[in-house]
Amino acid sequence: MNSHNDKLLIDVGSTYVKVCVESNAPERCHLEQHFRNFNQSILDDLMHKCGHTISAFAKDDVYICSSANGGLSTLIIGLTHTFSLKYATNIAFNSGINIIDTILYQDIASATVPSDLIDVVIIAGGINSKGNAFADDLYHYLQNINYSNIVYVGNEQDAKVAKAQLPELVVLPNIIDNRLHIVEEELKAYLTNLYQQDIMGKEDIKDLYQISSNQIFSTPYIVNQTLPLIDASYSVVNPFILLDIGGATTDIHYSKDLVDENMVTNNEFDRLVFKKLGVYKSRESLIFAAQGNEFVYELLMHLNVTENIFHEQSDKATRILMQLAIFLVLCKMSHYRQTYINLKLSAVNSIVLTGGVTKVLKQEEAEDIISFFYTKILTSQHRPVTIMDTDYAIWTLGSRAQDANHRAK
Amino acid sequence: MKVVTGVIGNDIHVVANRLIDLSLKARGYEVFNLGVNTYLEEFFDAVIETDADILLISSLNGEAEGWSREVKALKAEYKGLDNLIMMIGGNLTVGTGKAEDIIPKYKNYGFDLVCHQVDLNTGLDMLAEFVKEKSA
Repeated sequence: MNSHNDKLLIDVGSTYVKVCVESNAPERCHLEQHFRNFNQSILDDLMHKCGHTISAFAKDDVYICSSANGGLSTLIIGLTHTFSLKYATNIAFNSGINIIDTILYQDIASATVPSDLIDVVIIAGGINSKGNAFADDLYHYLQNINYSNIVYVGNEQDAKVAKAQLPELVVLPNIIDNRLHIVEEELKAYLTNLYQQDIMGKEDIKDLYQISSNQIFSTPYIVNQTLPLIDASYSVVNPFILLDIGGATTDIHYSKDLVDENMVTNNEFDRLVFKKLGVYKSRESLIFAAQGNEFVYELLMHLNVTENIFHEQSDKATRILMQLAIFLVLCKMSHYRQTYINLKLSAVNSIVLTGGVTKVLKQEEAEDIISFFYTKILTSQHRPVTIMDTDYAIWTLGSRAQDANHRAK
Repeated sequence: MKVVTGVIGNDIHVVANRLIDLSLKARGYEVFNLGVNTYLEEFFDAVIETDADILLISSLNGEAEGWSREVKALKAEYKGLDNLIMMIGGNLTVGTGKAEDIIPKYKNYGFDLVCHQVDLNTGLDMLAEFVKEKSA
């Protein structure tokens, strides 16, 4: 350990890498951000841009999180939308998984068979006293799928048959207890471990262990860990939502007070992801989503631009796309669009923005778009306080907390 | 027997819900209580997840009338609910109404047993009788 207890925190995103020196001596603290060079491996790129900083740290003092490996793709098969599918989806999101498809078991005969390799299939459904929830049609369907892992978290009675049919099946405790409440821990631990294995299996990320001897975590997991501590850095008033709008995806972390629902969990905050909503890697799908929203043209007029902005490559176009991303995300979470979860946005006191969006938009530009959303979609005069995490304090706070946990162990 | 119960819609009559829960348990039923503010899809989903024999929906503010119109269509979307016993009780109309008008209406919505402003124990006696007849 160095004399100032310095730590090097690195976040590898899909578009940018952030490198932050944390120290007890304030003059030694600094943050750098670099656009990734996709023609080089992540490690080569990092060493090229920040080699001098990185080489000054021992491996023990370097902490890395990443969202650049794309995460795991997941297929969930469950008995109902309200319980098994919803519970498993919630656990998967909170484990840092981005790509989630669901199939309602009763529709399995007509369900599309995914052509891509699925990292993990999750089967859920029924309380333990229910048996015969799944039949041969499940196993026929699974025969046609190309998957790497499969886990069963449904009722105990069907577990034996499922294991006999699928020898590679991992059987974990049911995620639904006998009071229809959610049981998260085992599946969450399983998925988090799979994420680590996925990192280890991807050469690009694996290389990063050459500069760090600490476990590499997923960035959303680190951010989620920070939320209960967020008021240490900002005057955030609960309930709040945190929007992490980046190059490839948009993550939303929200206070549980903002949902009316049947899930009783120990988490104060949950996460969900819009996987194709970002301004670089997912630019095309963001524009496609925008063109499908009837309020977007009014919004473009409000911003004094036309549809042609979608075809421009300029700082102004990136700014407009970021504003659109905020608007679309708020729309997707409101009752205006029925999705996996709808938040009570009129009860939100603070909206915290982090990720690439804080480097592109000014505070007043973000506030303008949030005001537009509340007026047009919610027809409300309510205005949550907008907080911009411009120096990535949320991520550094989370990484420090992770370091403290690590040392406590 | 397994019973799924709860108060439908934007109805927060939690005391009545608790009394129904306790009374059902006292009569030996295995109860899955979804509580207040429950929507139709949640009721049916809970029946599927628990393999319940009976669905007992209650309403105090009368808004069940609006929700119940959707019962047949929604139930038809589920596989395996053909033998489910459907019961509804409480105050089943907004304002005033006569039981002789209300009961046929709800039966037409798809309920086997309809208890409009009937004492809880009387309603549960009706349920016991119905179960007995059905299994005979």
